[in-house]
Amino acid sequence: MKLAALIRGDLRFQFKYGFYFLYLFFTLFYIGLLAAFPQSWRQKAALLMVYSDPASLGLFFMGGIVLYEKSERVLDSLAVSPIRTRDYVFSKLLSLSVISSAVSLAIGAFGNILSSPPSFFVAIVMGSCLFSAFGLIVAARIKTLNEFLILTVPLQIFINIPAIWYIFGARPLWLLLHPGVCMIELFTAGPYSLIALLVLTGWTIPLFILATRAMDKAFETLGGVKL
Amino acid sequence: MNEMINVADLSFSYTRKPFIDGVSFDVAGGEIFGFLGPSGAGKTTLQKILTGLIKKYKGNVRVNGQEVCRHERNFHENIGVCFEFPSLYEKLTARENLRFFGSLYKKQRNIEELLESVGLQSEADKRVSDYSKGMKTRLNFIKALLHDPAVLFLDEPTSGLDPSNARNLKDLILAEKAKDKTIILTTHNMYDATELCARVAFIVDGRISALDTPRNLIMSKGAMTVEYVYMKEGKEVTGRTALNQTGDDTLLQSLIAENRLLSIHSSEPTLNDIFVEITGRRLR
Repeated sequence: MKLAALIRGDLRFQFKYGFYFLYLFFTLFYIGLLAAFPQSWRQKAALLMVYSDPASLGLFFMGGIVLYEKSERVLDSLAVSPIRTRDYVFSKLLSLSVISSAVSLAIGAFGNILSSPPSFFVAIVMGSCLFSAFGLIVAARIKTLNEFLILTVPLQIFINIPAIWYIFGARPLWLLLHPGVCMIELFTAGPYSLIALLVLTGWTIPLFILATRAMDKAFETLGGVKL
Repeated sequence: MNEMINVADLSFSYTRKPFIDGVSFDVAGGEIFGFLGPSGAGKTTLQKILTGLIKKYKGNVRVNGQEVCRHERNFHENIGVCFEFPSLYEKLTARENLRFFGSLYKKQRNIEELLESVGLQSEADKRVSDYSKGMKTRLNFIKALLHDPAVLFLDEPTSGLDPSNARNLKDLILAEKAKDKTIILTTHNMYDATELCARVAFIVDGRISALDTPRNLIMSKGAMTVEYVYMKEGKEVTGRTALNQTGDDTLLQSLIAENRLLSIHSSEPTLNDIFVEITGRRLR
């Protein structure tokens, strides 16, 4: 019940802070851009768009969300409430995956890349949770948005380069160890979807645990002395 | 009286140097207990330990019947914390904030009654970002009462309030005490502490320097004095004598007999004076 309350709270927060409006605009923008592309480009462009934005929006937005909560001192109240840290983290990840899924499905449908909607959906939800967990681990430790942006640069390189490489044709099997590559494989319902699903799960669960630990630490260091 | 909080030989450190060192005290159910101390004395850290945020301490800390480092999941259902600075979603309205935080608990008091108790009912649908500092402080206070907790931690609850709202808030604190709630008040405000607290503890450098009722602390460190002003050779002169020695002050008696006093008043040391005397530090 508390998890449901947290998710409702996070969805309301994201709505009030304009996330839905922003992504309605982005969705229309991306679809407009896809419409302008030649037919032969659309699938790869749609894959790239879905992967680089709605799927990984948590990586960018988690910094803003947690910094808002830190600056408004809301984390202090949550830390002394009966919620568990893992519920807090799960709520953040799931609530952001709602926007990720809705926007990705819209772009995916227009770009004609929904060869297997269930596989696409699973990849989006898991990938979004994974990227949000990455974002949360960084956001839990920082005090300013600049710090967040700087610290996420190496993460973005790690997340984006192999996946983009895979989209544009490089297909060595070992690349399937990369979570982003697994997402692309699942988006396209490729022959290695099952392996991709297992590897992606193998990334997402430990990252969720690490994000929970990072938030535990962040709750502990709220207020008081800084050493 | 039943003990709601029992702290025995508590020590904690962020580094090798002890930050909280050998702290022991008990707080009874229905008692208002005050912590007074300068910034960095360890009040917030102590509060974090009592509220279960810090668990790696040494010694024993029992709150509401549970050892804090091994508390059960329901522990925070009975703890309410009002932080010194508002802890609210600024873009949500007051009512939305209360509904959200209330939804995290099993019990929930009537939101409309709480809003009314601090005069915010007509402003409940305003965004918190449009609230004044005092309004945020009042909203922050009732947020801590939302789930009707048995133990309340209040950190500078009247900070930033005008005298009328501060009075109202102190009456609400006393009303909670009347309902047998245990209240831990952390403050720099000696007047609030003197008025509200059954007992206060002075904390300096992570240790309790003194612990007693405000009255006992005040009376233990000096008697009341009488201060009087009179004219001498065209200048105002101030005389001072202990209240219990006015009969021996011949100058005062002659000034009274000759109607030459310009002013006279008694004064007693404040809790702040006692704090400075005992700890050698100032509260701010």
